[in-house]
Amino acid sequence: MLRVEALEFAYTDAAEQRMCFDLTVSAGEVLSLIGPSGSGKSTLLNLIAGFLPASRGRILLDQHPIQDLAVAQRPVSIVFQQHNLFPHLDLYTNVALGVNPSLRLLPAQVEAVREALARLGLTELQRRKPGELSGGQRQRVALARALVRRRKILLLDEAFAALGPAMRSELIELVKVLVREQDMAALLVSHQPNDALIASARTAFICAGRVAALAPTAQLLHQQEPPELREYLGSQ
Amino acid sequence: MSRAVPAALVLAILALLVLGPMLALFHLGDIPGYAASDLRFWENAYLRRVLFFSLWQASLSTLLAVVPAILVARAFAMQGQLPLRNLLLRLFALPLVVPAVVAVMSIVSVYGSSGWLPLGRSLYGINGILIAHVFFNLPLAVRLLLPQWQAIPQHHWQLSEQLGMNAWQRWRFIEWPMLREALPGVLLLVFMLCLTSFAVVLTLGGGPRSTTLEVAIYQSLRFDFDPARAALLALLQLGLCMLVALLTLKMQRLPEVEITLSTPARPSTSLHKWVDIGLIVAATLFVGMPLLSMLIDALGGPVVRVISDANLWRALASTLLIGLTAALLSVCAGWWLLRYSASLAYAGRRARARLIDLAGSIVYVVPPLVIGTGMFVLLSPRVDVFDWVYPIVIAINALMGLPFVIRCLGPAMRQNHARYHRLCLTLGLTGWNRFRFVEWPLLRRPLGLAIGLVAVLAMGDLGVIALFGSTQTSTLALMIYQQLGAYLVPQATVTALLLLLLCLGVFALLERLIGGKTVVAG
Repeated sequence: MLRVEALEFAYTDAAEQRMCFDLTVSAGEVLSLIGPSGSGKSTLLNLIAGFLPASRGRILLDQHPIQDLAVAQRPVSIVFQQHNLFPHLDLYTNVALGVNPSLRLLPAQVEAVREALARLGLTELQRRKPGELSGGQRQRVALARALVRRRKILLLDEAFAALGPAMRSELIELVKVLVREQDMAALLVSHQPNDALIASARTAFICAGRVAALAPTAQLLHQQEPPELREYLGSQ
Repeated sequence: MSRAVPAALVLAILALLVLGPMLALFHLGDIPGYAASDLRFWENAYLRRVLFFSLWQASLSTLLAVVPAILVARAFAMQGQLPLRNLLLRLFALPLVVPAVVAVMSIVSVYGSSGWLPLGRSLYGINGILIAHVFFNLPLAVRLLLPQWQAIPQHHWQLSEQLGMNAWQRWRFIEWPMLREALPGVLLLVFMLCLTSFAVVLTLGGGPRSTTLEVAIYQSLRFDFDPARAALLALLQLGLCMLVALLTLKMQRLPEVEITLSTPARPSTSLHKWVDIGLIVAATLFVGMPLLSMLIDALGGPVVRVISDANLWRALASTLLIGLTAALLSVCAGWWLLRYSASLAYAGRRARARLIDLAGSIVYVVPPLVIGTGMFVLLSPRVDVFDWVYPIVIAINALMGLPFVIRCLGPAMRQNHARYHRLCLTLGLTGWNRFRFVEWPLLRRPLGLAIGLVAVLAMGDLGVIALFGSTQTSTLALMIYQQLGAYLVPQATVTALLLLLLCLGVFALLERLIGGKTVVAG
């Protein structure tokens, strides 16, 4: 279980927005994060991944604090909207880098990479470069890498935003299966309430640097409170 | 932290190399032969004349290079489907890598007394200087201005057709507004290059009447043995360059040299088309003819006598040593500076990142000959500077190459960092693994270009080596100058061809070896 406790962060720009997050994600669960631009959704993911230093608070995975670990040591895999893959490396190498950055793989690890590629339907494409793939296929490769890394936290930062509705739904379903299989705690940032409905039993509404509402997804999307939520959903 | 330490080390070395000599210049009173009255340079007719000529030739060269370049760049932009267009544009890149002294030999070959278009003695003086400066800067300005036309959206051209605009109206409402943005930057860059031009004025200048500040510095040190006057001239040159650099900073916008060479056809009538083609042919002849003429002259010259001279091979070895070492040092220094500035820019500290890039481009403000003069003044009372010729020449040439490294490598490095830094962090890709799998494959192309450019620049430099070199420690560029001085023009032409071939060969080899094949962009 992933637990974020009073995790604080403040940007040092002119606005100096102070953010403070509290939430829990169970193993095998995909929690969706929705909210207006600049509300802090990606900041929360960056704090968990370690790209930004929290000024206070804790991040616990199965009761163990991870907020002081270096980025590479954190039990986190992340999929961004773009630039998840190195354009000059083929798919196999892009996935294998997730296992060992020196690419010195044991036979079992090679097998794990092959299995992950097969699991995502990419075996035939493994020698291709990312530039030869569609947007959906590229995100599948990023998911395959997350699969071989076997980290307990999966962060999806608008990972499917650039894809069409059908492809988005397909990949979200795939994520749900993978998260359940590997008992991961996943956070999905999306601007599409419909993505949250497909992906998550529970959804959090992030507003002004805090979790303003957290409820079962269908309920949250019809809630009247807080007013910012209605305003946000009305603008969608 | 790991990025800050090497960058700090590079900055410290830069400070030592630039500030040390500058401080020596500012302590004029300590220099032997100094007289306080020298500071009132406006009362000295010689200095006044040198200053006036420096500004006059730079202004005239800039006008003569940039005005035709506007017409030629426009012609290239309008004639997107012209056969051999890309090849011609590549020819226009050639003067960027041709050493100044080779260009001079090419110009002498066409316009000299036995050339195709003989100008006789009048070539030596302002005429020759202007021809050489236009030879170098017209193609540069064309390549800087062409992207401005290519940036005009296709819809604007379509709209102009729909509104029935004639050629003048299109120029006024579509082309001029976009050109106006880039023009001040291009004018100032060309002016600065002509103001600090040394080899051209040294070889084609006609004595005291056609002497610029840079050449006067050289003459003061090497012929008159007057370090005090050299220091004063260097300070004047420094002041002028700082003024131009400040103006350039204010103008900011300098377009990137054209990368994509294709462009869709623009609406043009048959007459306009032929005028455009005429302009392109004339500019191509102006750039290509001297090189072709030199090639023919050199092949018909005393090739065997020149290549059987042991001094030539010694000079060739020195040229390679200086070029390759300076390029290596420059690229290492640039790499460390840029790694740090990219991480600063990524962290949102853009002002500090820009400051580091500017520090690396210090030679834009402090010309190499000024640094050389400062070093001469600083070191000559303590050591025999002529014993230190290689370290000094290599260090200053590495410094001269740094702005090119920053310009070639900087954008790619920043983009690479912005795209893949977080991914590398999550995957634990650091140190050697990050270099091997991410930085090297994605950056080797601009790296190859940078190292090739710096090597060629250093190999063809005549400025610093003329100040510190001798017949024992000569490079090919200096040898050409010495042969010209001894009226051995046929020998100088052959040596110039050898230097040109060496530069092109080294450039192609480094670009190919390091740059490798084209890498798929992100």
